[in-house]
Amino acid sequence: MFNKYLFWAYSLVWLIFMLYAWNLSRRQTRLEKELDEVKSKVTESASSASSGPSGS
Amino acid sequence: MNKKFPMRLHFLLTTAWLVVALYMIFLYAPEEMTMGEVQRIFYIHVPAAWVALVGFIIIFIASIVYLMKRSQPADELAHATAEVGFIFCTCVLVTGPLWAKPAWGIWWTWSPRLTLTFLLWLLYVAYLMLRSYLVNPGRAANLCAVVGVIGFADVIIDYMAIRWWRTQHPQPVIMGGPNSGLDPRMLATLLVGVGAFTILFFFLVRVRLRLAVMRRELSEIRHALAFKLSED
Repeated sequence: MFNKYLFWAYSLVWLIFMLYAWNLSRRQTRLEKELDEVKSKVTESASSASSGPSGS
Repeated sequence: MNKKFPMRLHFLLTTAWLVVALYMIFLYAPEEMTMGEVQRIFYIHVPAAWVALVGFIIIFIASIVYLMKRSQPADELAHATAEVGFIFCTCVLVTGPLWAKPAWGIWWTWSPRLTLTFLLWLLYVAYLMLRSYLVNPGRAANLCAVVGVIGFADVIIDYMAIRWWRTQHPQPVIMGGPNSGLDPRMLATLLVGVGAFTILFFFLVRVRLRLAVMRRELSEIRHALAFKLSED
């Protein structure tokens, strides 16, 4: 027996969880990207610092 | 924690538990005589409410720890729990009216239990808004910890509301006195549902905490980099 209130209650709850899970995964991807960028900058600056004195 | 109980295992356990809960809700639990099928909303409404209350208890404890020791992990736990607790509290406010309409004939009434649950949702919103809008993270953490401690009063009154006052909301079916109780199959389904939502809640908190740790790591590296560049 189909009940519209039951249907909407379960659908909306799962929709809320899906949207939140999607939001978490998007934030994680963005943070991972930012972390990679910053780490590569650190490596770059470390390598330029180590090559700097020998070049001058 | 990660080594003892890896995220992947936690995810698999959560999924399996949710599947079992859904099976029990729709195929195992008997149909309630007066309300019929719509009563099955009970099996997500009550677990979501339980988790929303537990969430605020964790915020309360973590806030006290933060205020006493200035512990950053405690602050991060409180923040992560507030975000996930807000999601579950929203589920309570969505499923409640969808059950109230066919059961009572109205979507909403300002009875103590409903009003206090709405207030709990507002507390979660206030907590998250303070985090978003205050520029100084230390000040945001302090103010949020105060909200976490003061807001706990609402959790206690909300829990006791249907025991202290006669309201539109049904009386408790578990630990509610001599006239309370449930069919054993309904009770088993409810307990499995509570377990499923609890384990889902802790899984989401762990994922959210991992984001907080990554953000902290990122800001530490940025500070170190800025310091190094200013020295050069």
